[in-house]
Amino acid sequence: MITKFNVNGKEHQVEVQAGETLLNVLRELGYFGVKHGCETGECGACAVLIDGKSINSCVYSALQADGKVIETIESVGEHPEQGWKKTEGLHSIQKAFVENGAIQCGYCTPAMVLAAKELIAENPDPNEDEVKEALSGVMCRCTGFIKPVKAVLQAAAEMRGDDYDEAKFSTAPKIVSVREETEYSSVGKNEIKVDAVKLVQGKPAFAADVDIRNMLVAKVLKSPHAHAIIKKIDASKARELEGVAAVLTYEDIPRVAYSTAGQSDPIPGPLDMFSLDYKVRHVGDRVAFVAAESAAIAKKALSLIDVEYEVLPSIIDYSDSLDNKTILHDEDDYVDFDASDASRNLAAHIHIDIGDLEAGFAEADRIFEHEYEVPKVQQAHIEPHVVVTYWDEDDRLVIRTSTQVPFHARRMIAPVLGLPIKRIRVVKPRIGGGFGGKQEVQIEDVAGHLTIATGRPVIYETTREEEFTSSRSRHPMKIKMKTGIKNDGTMTANAMYCLSDTGAYGCHALTVTGNTGHKSMALYVGEGKYREKPNIQFIADIVYSNQAPSGAFRGYGVPQGFWPVERQMERIANEMGFDPLEFRLKNALRPGELQPFSTAWSEGREPSPEIVETNALEECVVQGKEAIGWNEKFGNQDWKSDTDKPWLKKGIGVALAMQGTAIPYLDMGGASIKLNDDGSFNLLVGATDLGTGSDTVLGQMAAEVLGVPLEDVIVYSSDTDFTPFDKGAYASSTTYISGAAVEKAAQKVATQMARRAAMILNEEGAGPDVEAGEIHFEDRKAFALDGRFVTHAKIALHSLHHANQSQIMAVASHVSEKAPPPFAAQFAEVTVDTQTGMVIVDKLVMAVDSGVIVNPLTASGQVEGGMIQALGYALTEEMIYNEKGEVREKDLRDYHIFSSTEVPEMETIFVETFESSHPFGVKAVAEIPMDGVAPAVANAIKNACGADLGMIPATPERVWAAMKNKG
Amino acid sequence: MIIEYHRPKTIEEAVQLIGRNEPETVPMGGGTVLNALPEELGLNKEFAVVDLQDLGLDQIEAKGNQTVFGAAATLEALVRFDGTPEALVRAAKLEAAKNIRQAATVAGALIASDGRSPFTTVMLALDAELQILPGDEKIRLGDLLPLRWELLIGKLIKEISIPTNVKVAFEYVARSKADQPIVSAAVTRWNSGRTRIILGGFASQPILVLDGKDDLQFEEPVRMAFSDAGDQWASAEYRSEIAEVLVKRCMDQIGE
Repeated sequence: MITKFNVNGKEHQVEVQAGETLLNVLRELGYFGVKHGCETGECGACAVLIDGKSINSCVYSALQADGKVIETIESVGEHPEQGWKKTEGLHSIQKAFVENGAIQCGYCTPAMVLAAKELIAENPDPNEDEVKEALSGVMCRCTGFIKPVKAVLQAAAEMRGDDYDEAKFSTAPKIVSVREETEYSSVGKNEIKVDAVKLVQGKPAFAADVDIRNMLVAKVLKSPHAHAIIKKIDASKARELEGVAAVLTYEDIPRVAYSTAGQSDPIPGPLDMFSLDYKVRHVGDRVAFVAAESAAIAKKALSLIDVEYEVLPSIIDYSDSLDNKTILHDEDDYVDFDASDASRNLAAHIHIDIGDLEAGFAEADRIFEHEYEVPKVQQAHIEPHVVVTYWDEDDRLVIRTSTQVPFHARRMIAPVLGLPIKRIRVVKPRIGGGFGGKQEVQIEDVAGHLTIATGRPVIYETTREEEFTSSRSRHPMKIKMKTGIKNDGTMTANAMYCLSDTGAYGCHALTVTGNTGHKSMALYVGEGKYREKPNIQFIADIVYSNQAPSGAFRGYGVPQGFWPVERQMERIANEMGFDPLEFRLKNALRPGELQPFSTAWSEGREPSPEIVETNALEECVVQGKEAIGWNEKFGNQDWKSDTDKPWLKKGIGVALAMQGTAIPYLDMGGASIKLNDDGSFNLLVGATDLGTGSDTVLGQMAAEVLGVPLEDVIVYSSDTDFTPFDKGAYASSTTYISGAAVEKAAQKVATQMARRAAMILNEEGAGPDVEAGEIHFEDRKAFALDGRFVTHAKIALHSLHHANQSQIMAVASHVSEKAPPPFAAQFAEVTVDTQTGMVIVDKLVMAVDSGVIVNPLTASGQVEGGMIQALGYALTEEMIYNEKGEVREKDLRDYHIFSSTEVPEMETIFVETFESSHPFGVKAVAEIPMDGVAPAVANAIKNACGADLGMIPATPERVWAAMKNKG
Repeated sequence: MIIEYHRPKTIEEAVQLIGRNEPETVPMGGGTVLNALPEELGLNKEFAVVDLQDLGLDQIEAKGNQTVFGAAATLEALVRFDGTPEALVRAAKLEAAKNIRQAATVAGALIASDGRSPFTTVMLALDAELQILPGDEKIRLGDLLPLRWELLIGKLIKEISIPTNVKVAFEYVARSKADQPIVSAAVTRWNSGRTRIILGGFASQPILVLDGKDDLQFEEPVRMAFSDAGDQWASAEYRSEIAEVLVKRCMDQIGE
């Protein structure tokens, strides 16, 4: 059928299928600013303006659009500088988004800009609630919405010709410095993200935003059974279907055991996965791959594959897994790692003893034993997993993929595809959110196998349902705590046993759960002699089950650990009558002390002792208390009931947290910097900016050393052919590890430039000879001590064209022997409906010591977005499986992430220390916001109504039941 | 799978198309469910759609003591209409975020709804009446919903009317403010004293608990209505107790 519509002023006439979505058609027409995030309209990334109204194009057919006027982001603003062509530049809304740090991964940004445009056209002076309502149709998993809301308010003011009143709605974080001040020119500044301008225009920056001739579409047949043997599989009918290019089953491709966990070599976990297997181990497991001329044909082909299963008994509840007679991995080619034991369904086992636990318990006046549980939750990045593969002209396989780990992906996928590493090139474009979900090498093999089979380019993009049924998620855990306490509040011993569910495959099994203990159990060591010699035990069994696999998720096991630890501390404080904050700080790790786990465990590798140099936890508590109004509210009965509805009770709570910064002696990042003719620089990094702003902060560090504004540093990440190795974006490591590599490379370049500058100045002879060591860089110039200078452009021209020519460039890499932990105090204020158990979080405050903050704008965005993700962990997010192993949550309606209309007030405070193991004193900020929110909210619930929760999310019924249980 | 798309210019033409047996032909409002999840509408085979957008069925009018929503009026238009009761506005906003509301239609939202639907819960409390074509048949929403897949074969909803001379209240419990309800309650009180209580948050459609006059003893019927209402989202015990709480709150709001 034919549909005609106008897109951005251009008439289109397109032949479409009756049910074809407008999203598909617009993307086929090249409007890549329209993004795919789901198929049911919940996420809103696909929104366009249809006759001026923001509408989700994934649930709107191309034929419905016949006769309509459609606006996509491509019609809104343009780059302000396009050579000789004068442009009006970005739209006011786009400018405001860019300037306010409202863009993180940028995947939902075009839809937000369009929603804002619709709003302001109709209501030029919207208030905060009206902006939130206007943005409510667009989900954002990165920002926490605070900065986008401010951007829209500011844009509306500018469009009205008004001055924006910062005092009305400001998103600037508070920065409290407890370090010696150092004056920087770029580091510490609210620099605009280097990718913001392209993302706000919806440029084709993401993996799927390519149109390659003859590209096939891949689909994967999924298992309907939780555990079964494929007795027979017949793909002949599917292969005969017109438009099908290839169907692959386990009979067609090599059987190679591997792990999908994107980690350094050797993978610290069992090799228990096969691209395709004769056995399926969870509902949603892979059965066959199809490549076809269109998605519709590929889907049809899936329905034509005949599979005969022998259904096996399954283990859905992981409590039943260990030593069950049903064994998930009975294959002969299973490759053990360390303490994995497939015959027991054990993917990993950890046993860490620090000090003398029993002696510690014997010295305690009280012993507290409680059980806790945390759910399986999904990363829910708005861009699904997506990969494009093709053979290049040299018959090398190019993998353009939305990954956090391009170098690991290349190394790990090579044997699976039967290719040497050197014949694979992995290109990582912009990533539409990852949060650990894309630390998994989860889909690259699917498209790779199909490109090998067909010789043609292939795109494979998961559906939202597949994100729930077949991707990775946060490990659910059941945890037992036992803590010994003296009457004066001194902790004498602390033990945690953790049963962790890795699901069908053991990706990240050991390391995620190891971090559960490694970080959370290290925060509290005790007072007095226990501070020097704490008594801590951490034991974990990580078991297989017939659920979709668990994996990496922002926080990497640590949020699971702080839930029980911080609830346990609260229970102890409540029962023994201690002030919850004084009790915590009395026992908490302090600067100059040994990270107790550093001598015991290091992600399956050799541990090495580490002293915690910087720790501003006490100041974080001071700052957070003030911001939340702790002294006025805690214990104040009048405040708790200050409402016209007597069934509503307010409460306030706190949790402390500690994360890590990279993996010591292992995580390595590389950078190369090259000087261009005009004095600008190319900075190439293997690090992967998944929306966090890491490209920007790395650029800022280079700019700082080289004496240029950030705009003179062209940052590119990442491509395994061109950028130096970097282990990738995980473990909160990029600013610390990759940043140090950038600084080293910049210093090398600066040394070369100084030599060249001295040479030029001495050739000019306008003064005494200059030594290279005297040169310093500032304002795009190399200065001698007497004030003479040479511009960077002149140095570049001289070195490239004029005399003793050489390319000024350098490569450097960095690995750290330290993993300096960031610390945080997380506060929450809640209102509980004591009749129904429904909880509304009114305010979140996080005071965090992440060392020096390179970019407060992007860092505060990390904290705000992290707190909202963590709020979902606290209140709404969980994946529930039925007895057949089918997950309840298959879309973003049932799996509820917080929307713009329901985010609470938030405040971010940075307490700056200087971590001397980094040239700019940084520590990590990305993951720690995930750690404290759930326990702080639960502690606030307890404070409000007495409900004492052991399990999250704090659903209304759980809170209601806990209120009843309190007696 | 949609195999045919029609956009008639007249209601007669639409009715004729929808009356066909082969292929199965259904009306399309905003398409937000039909395009994405037709199986939720009982459409598991190939089918044809009749887009209602050119039929002028998107009007909303106040007529005497009634507000009449054209079947193809969007949820967002309903939210913005001055005469829409505040409880219904809240329910419609909870039903879907703005981008969906701007496409989804009143009739489509009702027909595609399940028991969690806040919008349908309030519309049932209002005892909404639907006019069906052909034949100008009128049917109450509460009578239609249980048999919607059978009764609407070959039929087209033209408009939906709700009373305006009533008080209506809506309360719900969910994991968060913008989440779909686990339990919800809507109560409508007519000037005559007639009171209608609906519970939502469970099963394939919201449940009518009571529709009566004066001295309504609602506590026991409300608890009983959810006595078996346990599923993966909540236990029956919880739903029963909370339903009573929410109905009481609604009663307080409407001046019981």
